[in-house]
Amino acid sequence: MRLRLAGVFATWTISLLAASGAIIGAPRPTYHAPGLTHVFASIPGPLPALRLDFGLDPLALPFLALLAMLGFAVGVWCLRRDRPIDAVLIAGFMAAMLAVLVARSAAAFFLAWEAMSLVSVFLVAAHHERRDVRRAALVYLVVAQSGALCILLALSVLVAYNSGDGSFAAMAYANYAAPMLRAPALPPATRTAVFLLALVGFGSKAGLLPLHFWLPRAHPVAPPSASALLSGAMLKVALYGLCLVIFQLAAPGAAWWGVVLITIGTLSAIGGVLYALVEHDLKRLLAYHSVENVGIITIGIGVAVLAESNRYEQLAGLALIAALYHAINHGLFKGLLFLGAGVVAESAGTVDLEKLGGLWRPLRWTAPLFLVGCVAIVGLPPLNGFVSEWLTFQTLINGFRVVQPDERLVLLGAVMGLALTGGLAATCFVKVFGIVFLGQSRRVPERPVARENFDAGTAALGILAALCALFGLAPMLAFDPLDRVVATLGPGFEWPSYFHSLPVLPVTLIALPFAGAIACVVLATRRGVRRVPTWTCGSPVTPAAQYTATAFSKPLRTIFAFVLLPDRRRVVEAGNAWFPKHIVYTTRSRDVIDETSRRFGALALWTARRSRALQSGSLRLYLAYAVVALVVVVMLARR
Amino acid sequence: MIFVLQVLIIVALAPLVQGAMKSLRARLQGRPGPSPLQPYRDLAKLWQKEALLPEGVSSIAVCAPGIALGVSLTFAAMLPIFNALPALDDVVALVFLLALGRFFLALAALDSRSAFAGMAASREMTFASLVEPTLLTALLGAAALLPPVVPFLGSQPLGVAHLSELWLLTDPRFFGLAGMLGFGAFFLVLLAETARIPIDNQETHYELTMIHEGLALEYSGWQLAFLQIASYVRQFSFLILSVRLLPLYGSWVESPLTYWLTGGLTILSCCAAIAVLIVLVETAFAKLRLFEVPQLLGTALILAATSVAMRLLGAAL
Repeated sequence: MRLRLAGVFATWTISLLAASGAIIGAPRPTYHAPGLTHVFASIPGPLPALRLDFGLDPLALPFLALLAMLGFAVGVWCLRRDRPIDAVLIAGFMAAMLAVLVARSAAAFFLAWEAMSLVSVFLVAAHHERRDVRRAALVYLVVAQSGALCILLALSVLVAYNSGDGSFAAMAYANYAAPMLRAPALPPATRTAVFLLALVGFGSKAGLLPLHFWLPRAHPVAPPSASALLSGAMLKVALYGLCLVIFQLAAPGAAWWGVVLITIGTLSAIGGVLYALVEHDLKRLLAYHSVENVGIITIGIGVAVLAESNRYEQLAGLALIAALYHAINHGLFKGLLFLGAGVVAESAGTVDLEKLGGLWRPLRWTAPLFLVGCVAIVGLPPLNGFVSEWLTFQTLINGFRVVQPDERLVLLGAVMGLALTGGLAATCFVKVFGIVFLGQSRRVPERPVARENFDAGTAALGILAALCALFGLAPMLAFDPLDRVVATLGPGFEWPSYFHSLPVLPVTLIALPFAGAIACVVLATRRGVRRVPTWTCGSPVTPAAQYTATAFSKPLRTIFAFVLLPDRRRVVEAGNAWFPKHIVYTTRSRDVIDETSRRFGALALWTARRSRALQSGSLRLYLAYAVVALVVVVMLARR
Repeated sequence: MIFVLQVLIIVALAPLVQGAMKSLRARLQGRPGPSPLQPYRDLAKLWQKEALLPEGVSSIAVCAPGIALGVSLTFAAMLPIFNALPALDDVVALVFLLALGRFFLALAALDSRSAFAGMAASREMTFASLVEPTLLTALLGAAALLPPVVPFLGSQPLGVAHLSELWLLTDPRFFGLAGMLGFGAFFLVLLAETARIPIDNQETHYELTMIHEGLALEYSGWQLAFLQIASYVRQFSFLILSVRLLPLYGSWVESPLTYWLTGGLTILSCCAAIAVLIVLVETAFAKLRLFEVPQLLGTALILAATSVAMRLLGAAL
């Protein structure tokens, strides 16, 4: 108990620190150039490149705010749930993420980054007695360290071109002042190399396609509190790193960076939601949705780069607001959903959608709060997901006018991809909520689920759900501070208020549907609703008559079979073909990336096996090779 | 408060639109068919009847008809007829709004424990997710916010893509091929969203072939009345919106004095024409097999994308 309390208080202290950082660092109009941050702690190293600087940069503030809110809620959760040691690890993880966000020199950033990766590996490997968990942790570690290598290379290049000084402020200022001094801070080829390295390094950590494969393996096996922080906060820290490189360290970005980011973002959004649709493990499904949402955020960042390179700073500012807003929102609702999945796993004993159902009644606190998370992640009004997705759409649509004609087609593709993603996400969460919480339990034999009481865990869900509602119903609460943050990126970045409707839009949209729901409740109590058995054509009503998750996603699995590569097995047991006793139907979708890497691996092995014939171990054969080689060399030399 | 009047007019006329379409369809098929006023009688009857719900359903199933009705009424209030509600004059918000009603209806269907309702929910959500990009793209293709069709005509400042400014700033004469493709895409969306053949069949009696009707399978009494008004209002609103994608509408705005009369008549006559077109399609075609519907919806998406791409590349003429 003492260990748990220590962990929780440490977590709260760190979120308090993050919150005060976000408040103290609130941008003032005195900022003249991006990245010129006040450094509050500087630890000298043996070389200027190894100096450790810490400061509060405006770009990090939205992420600090997210870390504070999510960390506080996860701390509340840890009061009653998960192991005590998890609470301590969570505190360490929070501290590492905080350090990444306040790092203002290359060495400090990289050290904090590595600490964050390592602590999170411990969290992923929490249940290390299971083989799949060990494997997931190993895959995660390999990806994290390969990504870190790319980041290290990118940072080293930047430090080298900054005459050996590791300070981020100096690099950002050099880039900012370069047009005035007529001396480019970085040669274009180097800039490109830094961008690509950062994209691979941070993109793999953020879970962008095609380097997302570790994410659905690692996130679900961690305890709920860790999953919430991994998906809700760590992916955002990775995106912060990407923003830092693009908008400060290697600024200004070229137009094609934007095109690359928008394309990858759109593909990640669609791919993430498609794999989520066919997934029946609740936590893996949520992990795939992180890929989708990171994709949406990346689209925003991409439009910002594209608009900036077209000298349209206003739109770039708006795009970045949309991306940062969605980053905060995704942290909140994904945290809520992962913690909710934790409650489901604990009370029902499984997260397999095919065995769940009817949890609305026993989980009387979690179920409505989980519904809030579902509505938010789908982007339905009036919750926070709606506002940031709406902003992303507006960004893309306004982009049609200000970018080059051929780049407009990329934006058009992103608009259509995003709309498709929205529809598919709605389908997916109808499946999740409808199968898990509504209807009846699908488990045979049915296992009673104890009635839930209000405790620290549900309180944590409540906090996050309240924040989701707050940032949806009062969008200016986030929009105005974010506008001030992006205004520090340069002159003209603030978004003039073209959106007169934004402050009231969510409330206006929801007013009549809400009134309709109230009217239904009133009518149902006054006139009464008689309860009758469900219509099943006269056959007995059993839980087995309900639609299942596999059946629900069947049409989309068939339509998108070319991506999802479904693998069906139908085993009919006993009896003759007309009256089978028992039919087992399994379907599994293969991840295209996994499948590709498997094929590559198989090809490499096959080549190796074939080429083994050359190395039979016979000395005479080797002598023959030597003679042939000699003859070939002599013939070539005579030419 | 003029949008209240707008919503009231639409709600009052919506059942008539449904009744007239049904009646016309019956005539074309050689049956006498019901009177065009039959939907009013049905609604009055349903309103008086007792509501039944399956045992053990949650409050979501109780609330869902009200949410669906609220969504339809908001849709009716958003339509650019009198330009009364600036906060909702927004193409993107419309797409999100429609998703809200669908989301709760599908949840209620899964809550009812019926395999038929679950199947309908699955199919409705599947098709809706394929229709959503087409709806948005087709509407954007006519938006004034896009690069102007002819550069010297000028264009809107940055901001929201308004529903009330579809084909407005650009002269209707420049409607062109892009506009026709966009309207074609929107017509297919219209068929899907109003549950018409070849995508869905409103008059089917087999639970296995129901999509939109299947969602309402477990509802009865006043709750079913809610759902039916909701779908009538939605259908009429979609018809009015499709008129907005035609070029002839824009020219009426220039004469505000005669706007009310001529504008109203134009909208109603165009709605009637499009409704007749839908009935003709319903009579002439059979319902598509389930897995052929995505091809149709994909075609619609390509039409809409081509229309927008033509405008974006400045080749709308």
